[in-house]
Amino acid sequence: MNALHQFVPALLPRDATGDHTLALRDTLRGAGWESDIYVEAAHDELQGEATSFEEYPARARAGDVLLYQMGTASPVAEFLLGRPETLVLDYHNITPGSFYEGWEDHTAETVTRARRQVAALAPRASLGIADSSFNAAELSRLGCRATAVVPILVALDPDGPEVDPDVRRRLAADHGEATVLLFVGRLSPNKSQHRLVEALWLFRRWYDPGARLHLVGPAVTPTYVAAVFSLAEELGLSGAVRHGEDLSPGELAAWYADADVFVCLSEHEGFCIPLLEAMQAGLPVVAYGAGAVSETVGDAGLVIPSARPSVVAAAVDRVRTDSALARHLVGAGHRRLEAFSMVRTRDRFIEVLTPLAGHRGVT
Amino acid sequence: MASVEPAASDAGEWDAAARARYLSEVMADIDAEVRRRRASGDLPAGLERELDEMFLEFSPVGLHGRARLRETLALVDGSAYVDVAVPVASNKAVGSLVKRTIRKSMGWYIGFIVHQIVKFAWAVSRMFHVVVDRVELLEAAVETERTPELPPSAVPVTDPGTAWWSSEAVAALTGVRGRVLHAECGDGALLDALVAAGVDAYGVDPSEAAIEPAVDRGLDVRAESLLDHLAVVADEALSGVVLSGSVQWLHPNQRDRLVGLITERLALDGVLVLHSATPESWTATTAHLISDLAPGRPLHAGTWAHLLSEQGFGPATVRDGGHDTTLGRVDPAVPEAAVINAAIDAVNSRLLGPDEYLLVAVRER
Repeated sequence: MNALHQFVPALLPRDATGDHTLALRDTLRGAGWESDIYVEAAHDELQGEATSFEEYPARARAGDVLLYQMGTASPVAEFLLGRPETLVLDYHNITPGSFYEGWEDHTAETVTRARRQVAALAPRASLGIADSSFNAAELSRLGCRATAVVPILVALDPDGPEVDPDVRRRLAADHGEATVLLFVGRLSPNKSQHRLVEALWLFRRWYDPGARLHLVGPAVTPTYVAAVFSLAEELGLSGAVRHGEDLSPGELAAWYADADVFVCLSEHEGFCIPLLEAMQAGLPVVAYGAGAVSETVGDAGLVIPSARPSVVAAAVDRVRTDSALARHLVGAGHRRLEAFSMVRTRDRFIEVLTPLAGHRGVT
Repeated sequence: MASVEPAASDAGEWDAAARARYLSEVMADIDAEVRRRRASGDLPAGLERELDEMFLEFSPVGLHGRARLRETLALVDGSAYVDVAVPVASNKAVGSLVKRTIRKSMGWYIGFIVHQIVKFAWAVSRMFHVVVDRVELLEAAVETERTPELPPSAVPVTDPGTAWWSSEAVAALTGVRGRVLHAECGDGALLDALVAAGVDAYGVDPSEAAIEPAVDRGLDVRAESLLDHLAVVADEALSGVVLSGSVQWLHPNQRDRLVGLITERLALDGVLVLHSATPESWTATTAHLISDLAPGRPLHAGTWAHLLSEQGFGPATVRDGGHDTTLGRVDPAVPEAAVINAAIDAVNSRLLGPDEYLLVAVRER
């Protein structure tokens, strides 16, 4: 029986990597493979799903393939470097430390350490799986000798989660008929929420004085978050920029449903699941084409070549006022989601992993 | 705005080229809109830069450094001054009067505190200046001691698979249970021979190009330097190691590190196989570019045996091989034969003889 075991620093519920890891394990088991999950830490809800990575050596068997879900710096990476089994990396990208320098130096150090671990593991891996060509190219540059692009396993039901009606009502009452720009993602320097604030200021000045900006996501970099909201205050936008976090799927769906345009100005994205969530919610997408954004969006969004406030404001206004364009983008978004369907992605994973089952690294 | 609305209501019917053309036309419209705004004065020159600069006011000191040390230090210096002259302007006349009164009455107190804060800030700033000076001196010193790197083309391509010592190495490792690493495995010729003999062998080589043929043949090889690789392999994870290639001219510090790492990573009874040129032949026959720029020199077999025994390896067996450059002695009947042969013996013993050797040692403790 083929055996592929996954290693992940932390297994968390309602987390993209956690959901992906569990879905991949189920996919492999469904295909008749032996597959377990080894972790440094697991959330209480998922204790029964995973085993400590330190227990793996006692369970190791000839012919095992080990797959590492690269996410953050972890002793799991050091452990895998010392293992002789065939290694596969599943890489979702790690934000370069330079984005955090000055804002949060300890985070810069942590992600830099994580990237060093990727660099050490890449030449050792028999295969690097990446959820975008952007990430695959990074793995190749680090010495990974074979790469395959396979999207992340994410459940994108065309109907989407049920919208929380109370939240939807409250949001609508707050802004009335004003245009709402939405971005979903952790508040951190590489996501460039400050540029969204700048764009909102100009958009209000040129097109819609009542427009709002909704930012959804965990405030993981407090110094940056404080700077973003200080900028909003300085520009007279205090009441126009709203932040939501710790949302249930229904609440998040309400924020999507309430918005007019999804705007992403990130300087660095390895994939960006919220772009797909916006398409799923039927929101037209305007996105700055940095990192893997152009690739994820495809032709299902307006990919702008610059994050300058003038370009962003003009693009958002065009999408808002040109109903044919908005309809076109929403339709293209729904079609784009088919490329990331669970069924298709599951098959692709089995396709790229099967040849490794015969590549035995151990005796 | 130019009319670019789709001709078909169902955009899904369009092919990819039509969709791309449509979006491209939309982008051109957006660009034109921005130009129009700029021309009309709605977008004054420098406005967007001012927005960015406004944001930077809320950014941490030294952010742009991605900034260099000196620039960051200048920002620290600029922030070390504390102004005691509190602004007293107010929208209300009485407000200004109250503020001015407070400032005047509290001035002596604030001034005293601020004086100490500024003194402390300048002392800290001064300390950082001293640290930066030292760091820059250290950086300069380290740079002067940098070992020049050999151009990849200067390193000869070896073919250990067909070399005289290949069969000796395979014989020394046949029957070993566990993984065997070949350092600087090149195109994997020796790996082929080891795998054919039933050895679970894999290789590393710093040159990605060199290992391409091995990758194509499905061998387990990695583009990685030996020291980087050994640094992360678990203790006692290897049952055998073959050293060949440029490891023989490592910098002395790196060579010591290599011996230490191999000792830790080899299991007890693990086998070390080392192929090297003799120092004499290496000096005499190696391209000048390599021998001049190489960070170290090959060692004599006896020196390796000594280094390894100190690390817990058993007695090494050494086999000479390669090209034998030994000069033959002249016929004793030749006039002055004794003198000539003495000279030949001296030259042979110091400079000539077999130009390579293979050393095998087993880790005993």
